[in-house]
Amino acid sequence: MKLNLLVSSMAIAAAMNVNAAQNYADFPVTVKAYEGDAKHSVSYGGQAARQVLHTSLKTLSGQGNGQENAELKAKMLAYFEGKAEGRAILSPVSKGGFVVAENNVDVLSKEKNLAGKTYKGAVTGWPGGMTGPEVLGFMIDKASSANKGFDPLTGYDYQQLISKFIMGAVFYNQAVDNYLDEKLDADTKPNGQAYKPGKPYTGKEHVWDEAFGYFGGPANTLNLSAEDVYNIAKQKEDALVLADFNKDGKASLYNEMTYAHAYYAAGFDKGGKTTYLHNIVQAFVDGRLLLTEAKGVNLTDAQRTELKGYAATIADNWQMVIAEAVFKYAGSTYKDLQKLNKLIETNGDIAADFRAYAKHWGELKGFALALQTGNENLGETAVKLNRLIGFSPVLLGNTQVIGVDSKGNYIQASSADMKQYMLHMLKVQQLMVDQFGVKARNKDVLADMGDLAGKLSSGGYVEND
Amino acid sequence: MFYGYLLIGLLLAVIWLRWSAKQNTREAFREIFSSEIWWSSSAKADYAIFFINKLTFFFLAPLLLTQLAAATWLFTFLHESIGYRTIIGESWPDISIIALFTLCYFLLDDFARFYVHKLLHEVPFLWAFHKVHHSARTMTPMTVFRTHPVEGLVFAMRSVIVQASVMAIFIFFFGGRVDLYTVLGVGVFTFVFNMMGSNLRHSHIGLRYWGWLESILISPAQHQIHHSVEPKHFDKNYGVILAIWDRMGKSLVKSSKHERIEFGLSKKVLKGEQNIIFIYLSPFREVAMIARECIQYFKSVFKS
Repeated sequence: MKLNLLVSSMAIAAAMNVNAAQNYADFPVTVKAYEGDAKHSVSYGGQAARQVLHTSLKTLSGQGNGQENAELKAKMLAYFEGKAEGRAILSPVSKGGFVVAENNVDVLSKEKNLAGKTYKGAVTGWPGGMTGPEVLGFMIDKASSANKGFDPLTGYDYQQLISKFIMGAVFYNQAVDNYLDEKLDADTKPNGQAYKPGKPYTGKEHVWDEAFGYFGGPANTLNLSAEDVYNIAKQKEDALVLADFNKDGKASLYNEMTYAHAYYAAGFDKGGKTTYLHNIVQAFVDGRLLLTEAKGVNLTDAQRTELKGYAATIADNWQMVIAEAVFKYAGSTYKDLQKLNKLIETNGDIAADFRAYAKHWGELKGFALALQTGNENLGETAVKLNRLIGFSPVLLGNTQVIGVDSKGNYIQASSADMKQYMLHMLKVQQLMVDQFGVKARNKDVLADMGDLAGKLSSGGYVEND
Repeated sequence: MFYGYLLIGLLLAVIWLRWSAKQNTREAFREIFSSEIWWSSSAKADYAIFFINKLTFFFLAPLLLTQLAAATWLFTFLHESIGYRTIIGESWPDISIIALFTLCYFLLDDFARFYVHKLLHEVPFLWAFHKVHHSARTMTPMTVFRTHPVEGLVFAMRSVIVQASVMAIFIFFFGGRVDLYTVLGVGVFTFVFNMMGSNLRHSHIGLRYWGWLESILISPAQHQIHHSVEPKHFDKNYGVILAIWDRMGKSLVKSSKHERIEFGLSKKVLKGEQNIIFIYLSPFREVAMIARECIQYFKSVFKS
């Protein structure tokens, strides 16, 4: 009887294993004539290092005390453009029972920075006509002397602006406009050769891995729900067991952590209306399986077409995640403005609500800029988006930043008032619906209308009187 | 729920026939389910129209403007026109806002139904299509679906305008607390209307209300008068739930005891009037004739 039970249990366990979805890990080495001792070919340590450079820089962005602070600025730049050894991971760090495995950037990858991988084009949505790295350098300078990253004179929350813009200008741009774009071409990083001599992965395998690393999902995402993936980013104590798929009792910041875009995708998907996270990771896994099956030889045209199909799925869904974030924070900003207008009318204390407004606006602006760093020229949509949001939040005196002078000081001028600015936020939401067809629609200004429409709708077109 | 309301209608019909015509239950059932009514050529046309329209609107509905899209447009328009949005009534209890919305929606919807119905009778090219509904010789609850698709489009437009207006205006001024007070998934007033025998409006059961009530609410008997072939009944009782609109428009007629009403467009029964092709196509021929007459008229005006 006991033997039967044992056999049955083993059979069930085996069946469960067969049904488990593929993790983005442990793909075999396919490089011809590889002589090293690597057991698998997955490698995106450089991208994991940049993920923690970003999270650490975000932490530093909120550490200013309102005075010029050369030391803080130097430290921030060390995480942005430096490559020196010994940089500590400031975030994520162990939290309660959620223990992280690494505490130094070098453990993930050495000599990595963010500046070298930042979008080099002009950032038209930010004053001063700067390139991506210049914008971030400028923001870092301002953040280092702001009070906890916040400048009340302009309404800028640099912590949010820096973080969300890096997500676009580094991670999104590198993945969709580089690795999943020109680097999939036949004459670049061919699959028939090692990425570099002696490496256990082919050119195309590594290109694909690097793009995955920038997305920021845990390697076992397909075996987790969107809520699980979200809870890992939040380092909830009971999420460790979900993240820790190698069962060493710690979450590896290399492939057992949720970062950046994967966190936002999970955040939208857990609402149940979208499946961006799994669409993206499934396409990454499918593409990687295709490369494994190519067995270290150059891809055929048919294989490349299929691989580019997966890349398109990733890019499309990724763009939707950012558009959803723009939608969400335009809604939050609208609601903040509604509260502020009320408080102004009643002479209430606005300090806390103005701070929330600045934070949400920073997230909105950061994601709006991020949306414009993909592989698609958004044309008129970008112009409209930048015009509606402006260069800064509308301030209490109905002014807005309109430019930067030669000394790097902001220039402000009169603008739409805060009441009219609410309409701009509504139009940003409508733009995201019209141009991208966002579905999750968190913080929808018109959500109440949708619910009500459901109740009123009769559909009785042909019921006569 | 449609079946539930039908059952209520049946119950009311039996009670009515037992009380007004002194029939026993068996006789009442025999009258209610008479095959002369339910299997007449007019009823058969009703059934065919029901299925054809279902199919037509299955393809047509996705192309129509939704009330949500119209409401979104109107909400933005209000925002642009007024310049800002201030939520009012924040200190009011939720129930007062829900009650106000439910009442306003009911009044606007019922008025729009009355007014569009009046136009369907009084504007010649609209009447050409609405005639399809009035061509029923026998009436069953299925006759409510005896509608030309062109008229269906008019109803769809009416619904969109009413619902979008009321939603956009209320949410703009009152915010997210706006809601519809519903009973079993429908607005409370619609529920009461259905419980009062709305399904008997299109039937041979002349359920009447008290005289005073017929000045406030349209009874099934009053709606049957609207379908009468008698010229004196033409263009009367346009209302759906409330009788007050007809009272204001001087088109209200109350029901009278033992009045036997014949349904249809005229007393004379035309050959082929229940033919389904005739029903769907004849309005277009009539509209073409109206258009020709209009052109002739304008030509004569310009000549003189």
